[in-house]
Amino acid sequence: MIRSAVKSASELCGQSDLSRAVDEFATCTSVELLQGTLFEIRFHAPRVAAAAAPGEFAQLLVDEGQVPLLRRPFSFSRVDISEGTVSFYLAAVGRGSSRLRLLHPGDRIRVLGPLGRGFSLPSSPGRSLLLAGGLGAAPFPLLMDQLIGRGEEVIWLNGSRSSSELYPDHLLPSGIQSRLIRTQDGSKGDPGLVTEGLPELMGVVQRIYACGPNPMLAAVYRSWASEVAAGHTAASLEVSIEAPMGCGFGTCLGCAIPLAAEGDESGPIGLCCRQGPVLPAQQLNWDQLLNQPAHLG
Amino acid sequence: MTMDPAVSLGRGLVLPNPVGVASGTFGYGFEAERMGPIAHLGAVYSKGTTLLPREGNRPPRISETSAGMLNSIGLQNPGVEVVARDYAPRWREWSVPVVVNVAGAGITEYVEVCERLSDVAGVAGLELNISCPNISHGMDFGTDPKRAKALVEAVRRVTELPLIVKLTPNVTDITEVGRAVEDGGADAISAVNTYLGMKISVKERKPVLPGMGTAGLSGPAIKPLALAAVAKLRRAVELPLIGIGGIGSTEDALEYLVAGADAIQIGTANFYRPGVSAEVLSGLIQFATDNSLQSWRDLRWSD
Ligand SMILES: Cc1cc2nc3c(=O)[nH]c(=O)nc-3n(C[C@H](O)[C@H](O)[C@H](O)COP(=O)(O)OP(=O)(O)OC[C@H]3O[C@@H](n4cnc5c(N)ncnc54)[C@H](O)[C@@H]3O)c2cc1C
Ligand SMILES: Cc1cc2nc3c(=O)[nH]c(=O)nc-3n(C[C@H](O)[C@H](O)[C@H](O)COP(=O)(O)O)c2cc1C
Ligand code: FES
Repeated sequence: MIRSAVKSASELCGQSDLSRAVDEFATCTSVELLQGTLFEIRFHAPRVAAAAAPGEFAQLLVDEGQVPLLRRPFSFSRVDISEGTVSFYLAAVGRGSSRLRLLHPGDRIRVLGPLGRGFSLPSSPGRSLLLAGGLGAAPFPLLMDQLIGRGEEVIWLNGSRSSSELYPDHLLPSGIQSRLIRTQDGSKGDPGLVTEGLPELMGVVQRIYACGPNPMLAAVYRSWASEVAAGHTAASLEVSIEAPMGCGFGTCLGCAIPLAAEGDESGPIGLCCRQGPVLPAQQLNWDQLLNQPAHLG
Repeated sequence: MTMDPAVSLGRGLVLPNPVGVASGTFGYGFEAERMGPIAHLGAVYSKGTTLLPREGNRPPRISETSAGMLNSIGLQNPGVEVVARDYAPRWREWSVPVVVNVAGAGITEYVEVCERLSDVAGVAGLELNISCPNISHGMDFGTDPKRAKALVEAVRRVTELPLIVKLTPNVTDITEVGRAVEDGGADAISAVNTYLGMKISVKERKPVLPGMGTAGLSGPAIKPLALAAVAKLRRAVELPLIGIGGIGSTEDALEYLVAGADAIQIGTANFYRPGVSAEVLSGLIQFATDNSLQSWRDLRWSD
């Protein structure tokens, strides 16, 4: 319970820059319904759009009337600075997301962002593997856009349970080097899990970015760690993770995530909203992360 | 407005206005300072601070409920030394008074923390949290009038700082504990802390939050309960009262002032409406002007 000699979470992992966040009254400009319960919702929020970076998120106040009470965190999925818009890619899974799906163009809600720490971008171009499971595709269109803009080669590996949960092609930016699809039921692309065949891919890239359910991320981490240990890859691995959030800016201490400290198996507790949601994979304590119940909501 | 919005909480602690932000919902003020102005606040009540650093509980720690939320943070804090040495000098530069919320596992710990903070510039007062439901035995002082009084007396002996005692609502009669801490030498009372609550996952057939599954309920859902507690206390004690529980609008704040509070704290609403305190304050000032109040006390319900 008590620790004083150990490095703090922010010393270990850094923390988000809160001075960039704005709470903007945003106007919904479109809700594009996709397969199943998936949809992309866009808002005119020029100040948030101007500051948003890949992997960062916004807190959406779905309803001012206290139900649901807390804001919902969503990663920036696409951003158009010239139009001043931000888009979020989500599924209607519960109270908040289902209400968002029912918004109409012209409706206004508060959007607070950008929050959190996003993906790090390369200083010189190379090749990146972007790996998404299901809704984990959300932050990647924006990341791709910026990577491609910097001359990076992008390999897009999208997996899901079935084809109905894949990220729609028409929303992807142009210029992706190669696209790989995996579905568990084989309804599109190669049948199987995203982790199959990963070691080969890891050997040919400088950077790996991953987002998806925790068990998938843990499997990617383990595969990566053993490839690194064997000297088969020198690629970096960054993951975007989730935690229940009360505020999104470091004051409720609700979004605790277990960090790993060098030479100390269980590191300090970090905050997903300040040290994350994107972290270098080796900074997380994966055993503890997997022991946490997911989405008890 | 001609009325002076300041409120006095005793022993020289004068807040520029009644609108404060509640412990555990505003950190130590530094996050909010990065995000926007905080100079309008009547007071910042810090995160609960203990003698040694505490890592807090393992996740998950929070869960949303109907118009409320449950939390089981477990008093994650950097310990009093960091607060006194690193944080207080920064607070000294602020115009907003900072009251340090203090928690402990026993009388000795409370006394040591309060002693350490006593002559520290930048600390305007202390708020004894005798009511945190999230650490073992944390509630013992708050539920037993005799122990509550003994604790306040012990702390009173080591500090000249204004002493606010924060009560738990998880008792049969909150006025008994209120009277006990008044007798013990408290300067003001804040009420209330969170209500003990639970949320169950039917899918998992167990509580959503770990351990016993109990946690602290806050937010709009508790407002009627907390208002009743404040109104009861107003009839039982003379001390200044700080009303807390579910405040998210000017109207909510006014209700507490009518019920007998001298000041208020905004808690959970800071999470979903980070700009709420400034709105509530300007709403109160507007109301005072429109209704030609001479003092906030004019609002009080008297029968
Ligand atoms: C930093 C961050 C970024 C995020 N980005 C995105 C994003 O870009 N797109 C996106 O869709 N989601 C994203 N999420 C998750 C998203 O915030 C939650 O799905 C959302 O809060 C659910 O809110 P709700 O009100 O719809 O569900 P709630 O009413 O809170 O929950 C209702 C039910 O849905 C279940 N549930 C909740 N979340 C999920 C989930 N993710 N998958 C399956 N079941 C769930 C709960 O267990 C519960 O039973 C992100 C989360 C974080 C922390
Ligand atoms: C996440 C969270 C953490 C809290 N931490 C503390 C604490 O450390 N010390 C304390 O005295 N009260 C703490 N509280 C209680 C609040 O200060 C306040 O009394 C309670 O939330 C009721 O007010 P509200 O309904 O406006 O939130 C905490 C509340 C929340 C929601
Ligand atoms: S969500 Fe509140 S501290 Fe991270």
